Amino acid sequence: MTKKTDDGKPQISRRVFLGSGAAAGAASVLPGGSVVEAQEPSATVAAAQAKAQPLSPEQMAREVGAAVPPSVVEPAVKRPGSDLMVQVLRDLGIEFVVSNPGSTFEGLQESIVNYGDTPNVMPEFITALHEESAVDMCHGYARSEGKPLCALVSGTIGLQHASMAIYQAFLGRSPVIVLIGREDLGRRQQHTADDIAGMVRSYTKWDAKPETLEDTLDALQEAYRQATTPPCAPVVVVLDAEIQKQEAGDLQVPEYHPPVIPTIGPADAGRIAEGLVAAQNPRLNVGRFRTPAGIRHAVELAELVGASVDTRATSGPMSFPQTHHLTGPGADENYDYVLGLEQPGAQASINGPHLRTIDDRDLIGIGFGNIRPPVIPQRDSSGAFDIVADAEASLPLVIDAARKKLDDAARKAVAARTTKNRRTNHDTRVAMLREAVEVKRAGWEGSPISTARLYAELWSLIKDHDWCLSSGTIFSGFHNVQLWNHDRPYSYLGMYPAAALGYCLGSSAGAALAARARDRIVINIQGDGDFNYAPGSIWTAAHHKLPMLTIMHNNRGYHMELMYLQHLAGVRGRGTDRMHIGTTFRDPYISYAKIAEGYGMKSEGPVSDPNELYAALERGVKTVLGGEPYLIDVLTQPR
Amino acid sequence: MMRKLTLLTGTIAFVAASIAIGQGTGDAERGKQAYYDYACYGCHGYQGIGRRNIANRASGVLVTEDVFLIYLRARGEQNPDFSTQTMPHYPESSLSDEDARHIYAYIMTFVDEPPAVEDIPALQDIVDDAEKGSGQ
Repeated sequence: MTKKTDDGKPQISRRVFLGSGAAAGAASVLPGGSVVEAQEPSATVAAAQAKAQPLSPEQMAREVGAAVPPSVVEPAVKRPGSDLMVQVLRDLGIEFVVSNPGSTFEGLQESIVNYGDTPNVMPEFITALHEESAVDMCHGYARSEGKPLCALVSGTIGLQHASMAIYQAFLGRSPVIVLIGREDLGRRQQHTADDIAGMVRSYTKWDAKPETLEDTLDALQEAYRQATTPPCAPVVVVLDAEIQKQEAGDLQVPEYHPPVIPTIGPADAGRIAEGLVAAQNPRLNVGRFRTPAGIRHAVELAELVGASVDTRATSGPMSFPQTHHLTGPGADENYDYVLGLEQPGAQASINGPHLRTIDDRDLIGIGFGNIRPPVIPQRDSSGAFDIVADAEASLPLVIDAARKKLDDAARKAVAARTTKNRRTNHDTRVAMLREAVEVKRAGWEGSPISTARLYAELWSLIKDHDWCLSSGTIFSGFHNVQLWNHDRPYSYLGMYPAAALGYCLGSSAGAALAARARDRIVINIQGDGDFNYAPGSIWTAAHHKLPMLTIMHNNRGYHMELMYLQHLAGVRGRGTDRMHIGTTFRDPYISYAKIAEGYGMKSEGPVSDPNELYAALERGVKTVLGGEPYLIDVLTQPR
Repeated sequence: MMRKLTLLTGTIAFVAASIAIGQGTGDAERGKQAYYDYACYGCHGYQGIGRRNIANRASGVLVTEDVFLIYLRARGEQNPDFSTQTMPHYPESSLSDEDARHIYAYIMTFVDEPPAVEDIPALQDIVDDAEKGSGQ
């Protein structure tokens, strides 16, 4: 661009010169940027300026990119189709559309941020920096709230970025609505395909590619129904770019009809109620419900019949409260009637339906293959009386039937049983904790910091607040299972369903989206390996002011893989001292506090002195309670 | 069976008599590097507290240096379902006797003396809260 004249002086082209001048002028007014000091033009520039032909004001404006387009008196499209799409999402209660912007859905994006009396509210446009993060955020929100958000991705390229997270949501049985922008008339044919959704059909429940605006509105409603009808799972709607922009005319949003959830019949409800009421020592095995309503029903049933309860609350969301007085082994472990709710039960279980029962999907021919059953043989845990139905929707029928069967004598028996169960469960829990804390205190003063100490000290700071533990904790010691009380539907959102890294940061940000409007805080005990896949959610959390406390479980490596390799090298009899290659973060170490700072999130660390941990955690919790995210980099023991 | 047991007992007695318990021939300083290089910390933590605690000579295989070496060489479960949860096999071609003795010497320096639970409010409060029946 810069040539030299015959006398060796640099010659600047007219476009470069004008561009430079415009840039300097613009830089001087850029908000938040460094101010460029006004400079006298050099002799060379002055000479070039003298030779240049003067520009008209219009030419100058066009050259610097400040041309004002002609004013539009009357918009060509008065009622864009995408406005109606937003109205459908609003009516469905979709709180957020999480997206990384793309050139196939500007119609919908513009409508989200501009349509209606309260634009950019229900749904609010959330900026993700990667489509995998966008879907993970929807997944985290769904686990926390039991209902879906929308991820908006662009064509073939956005969907491929999103695909890993969709797979994770599918295995997590989480309702997520993936909207794919499709632009067939653009120049980039690589971004479109005849059957875009085909590439994720192996691990989505349902998809549609509507060809009219009317069908698009129907498809959005059907997507919601499909995603939230058990088995819950991700669904896909392909949104044509032209349909988003077309005039809707008089078209109205169709009336929404909620899904029909499969329940047990009255006869089965009566049979189960009879079993529970007649039992001397009934028990409930409670798994994961779809929504918090399932938990309320289960608590009501357990209290109605005085059953002791086994919960999955320390494994994931939407299960029975861990410290409810009926949770525990109960006074007598010889149960004579066990009802499974989304879990096996010896006498009866209400469970499912499962994704594998969806037989109208092409689960094999996409190139990905079916999701294979585990290689390790699974124990047949089916009960004597298994019913494929949704437990949450079925419970009111069982409760109603049980209530009718309870006479005075039965109610007295329930009261007596409840008293015994309460006492035993309390004593059992205290004994378990006494034993646990003796184990947890080991290495208390060690550096790097013991993971047990991290969990224990953090608990003391959050236990009186409304909190959600969003990240899987298996790699950081699972200490929450014993030391924390998981009593709310969202207390613990569980592990990565596909055991695939790159999930926790995005899903935590999604849980924090839910938390922001509910005076709740999110705790993300974040593995370093997982963090590095898609750290952009740090910026999303900072930008949208999400109450998310991220505590790095920084063990500087992929320790599970390190251990696998160690074992194999030992078996092969060579080189176990070389297993750090490819499994550790050394040379250089990664500074997560600096990464967070760069993304605009308050942060500190690395903290390696155990005596400095509590104060750091205190600062973090205080900041998050104030409505801002925070990251603490903690150098920890490996596990 | 009885004969094998007698033989094993005799071997242990001989080994224990030959080398004082807890003492070895390795160099703890060199063992520190070897402990790191061979990633022993992955399961046992940087000071012997981890998934499997070995500080305070918590494991029986640490009774003497030679027992420790025998244990390293005789890991039978070479193809477990979850190899991250079992001690790897360490033949001499993978970990020399010399390095193993250094590692043993380093492990012998691990002493963990955490405060009592009563002196750790974060832990004691958890028990106290449970006793009071906090929760639902």
